[in-house]
Amino acid sequence: MAETGKLGEVVTINMGPQHPSTHGVLRIVLNLDGETIVDARPEVGYLHRGVEKLAENRTYHQFIPLTDRLDYVSSLSNNLAYCLAVEKFFDLDIPKRADYLRVIFAELTRISSHLVWLGTHALDIGAMTVFLYAFREREMVLDLFELATGQRLTGSWVRVGGVKEDVPEGFFDKAKEFISIFDEKIDTYEGLLTKNRIWVNRTVGIGKISKEDALSYGTSGPIMRGSGIKFDLRKDQPYSVYDEIDFEVPVYEEGDVYSRYLVRINELRQSNRIVKQAIDKIPAGPVMTSDPRVSLPSHEDVYEKMEALIRRFYIMSKGFKVPKGETYASIESTKGELGFYIVSDGESKPYRLKIRAPSFVNLGALLVMTKGYMLADLVSVIGSIDIVLGEIDR
Amino acid sequence: MEFENIYTFLENKYGENVNKKIEYGCNFIMPEVNISKDLLNDLYKKFDFSYLVDIVGVHWPKRDKKFDVIYNLYSIGNRIRAFVKVAIIDEKIETVSDIWKSAIFLEREQYDLLGIEFKGHPDLRRILLPDYFKKHPLRKDFDLKDRSWFNDVDEQGLGIKYSK
Repeated sequence: MAETGKLGEVVTINMGPQHPSTHGVLRIVLNLDGETIVDARPEVGYLHRGVEKLAENRTYHQFIPLTDRLDYVSSLSNNLAYCLAVEKFFDLDIPKRADYLRVIFAELTRISSHLVWLGTHALDIGAMTVFLYAFREREMVLDLFELATGQRLTGSWVRVGGVKEDVPEGFFDKAKEFISIFDEKIDTYEGLLTKNRIWVNRTVGIGKISKEDALSYGTSGPIMRGSGIKFDLRKDQPYSVYDEIDFEVPVYEEGDVYSRYLVRINELRQSNRIVKQAIDKIPAGPVMTSDPRVSLPSHEDVYEKMEALIRRFYIMSKGFKVPKGETYASIESTKGELGFYIVSDGESKPYRLKIRAPSFVNLGALLVMTKGYMLADLVSVIGSIDIVLGEIDR
Repeated sequence: MEFENIYTFLENKYGENVNKKIEYGCNFIMPEVNISKDLLNDLYKKFDFSYLVDIVGVHWPKRDKKFDVIYNLYSIGNRIRAFVKVAIIDEKIETVSDIWKSAIFLEREQYDLLGIEFKGHPDLRRILLPDYFKKHPLRKDFDLKDRSWFNDVDEQGLGIKYSK
């Protein structure tokens, strides 16, 4: 039942699961007419760990480290999205300093994640140099993470009700040092790529997705903004303290790989601006709420008061109980809208937890972006979607 | 445009078949299953809910209506998020993939993990789990310690058996 195309028989081939451009274990079943793509079906699930089922068997705090393993290059944003969802049940008053620290780390995460994307995307298309430069700067961001959270990749630093602890002395000086040089570094990347003839030929007009399709396929983040839809949860449904910070949302109309590249490059500049403002504005004060429903009592209290000791023991061993009901919270993660839908039955473990993973939904639009283009363009399209398989397979 | 206006329109049209609640800052619309598709179509066409964010399925084994299907909708023009929550009895519901294309992937995921059948879906296959897996892990009666599915892994008939 061989189908015939313009150039003879349509050939079905496998791309992946072991292919350097798939950024993990993604398999794509391709129907090719010569070198033109007729059909592309992504087959995922090689990294499935059942995170949503694991959540049903863990207390709310025990799940935080697992969120790190979803999108493993932007772990701190995942923590933030999950904690915002749990906090909605309690209507907690988060201390201002904790909110600012969350914003600072969410944006530093965006910078480090976009640098991974920039490096690997350029490497896929054949620009080796950018990779080395991007990872040099990413190293500085990871050093900042290490200083504050003790971990370079899997932070697990955001808690329900605040953050784990205040940043150490000297952190802001080091962060300011990074901010001051980073704008120049972005100019370097742009100098290497933006007007580079090979780069332009490989990206302009490739992988187009129209405004209507981008919306219908539920894409979010840079793909949506690269297709001319101005939608950014940081502006549209501000969480934390994004409404107190001045920044712009870059939007490009063309919907091709090049416009998604421009969106992300401009987001790097905006993130840098946000971190700078947040560091200037950050107030002093506590970093964890004192609400007894979720927070642990202080060490002094535990040593002196019996009820504080009991409460600490209870929260540590059984976890805090969450009121009945369902709620949803989402953030503008590095890849798009990352949301957690939690159903609680009043116990200390979630009844059902659904992760709205941006990469998963964005990958659904792969066929629209690749149909009619050449096989070699698929590599640049996958790079421009910026997938992380840990988040797709969960 | 506010959520209240949208709900007033739906109430006038569907009467007792639709309910609402606001829970922890989320707006829920709860229609009966027989009008849910029409209601979603109305939301899409009349109120600019052109972005289907997510589809969530929840299993309630002790209830008569054993499954909840929750559609997470967002209107970019009006900046409103609304959740349409449908309770179903026999794990079957109409697909919405003809309204929103993103439902193709999202419904496949809920079919895979919860076994909810979406009638009229163009390509209803397992997505995260392999095809030989027979069960649906996010159902509440799924036994975490049951390893019998391991015997199905042997697709090529090599004689690999799981023994305890």
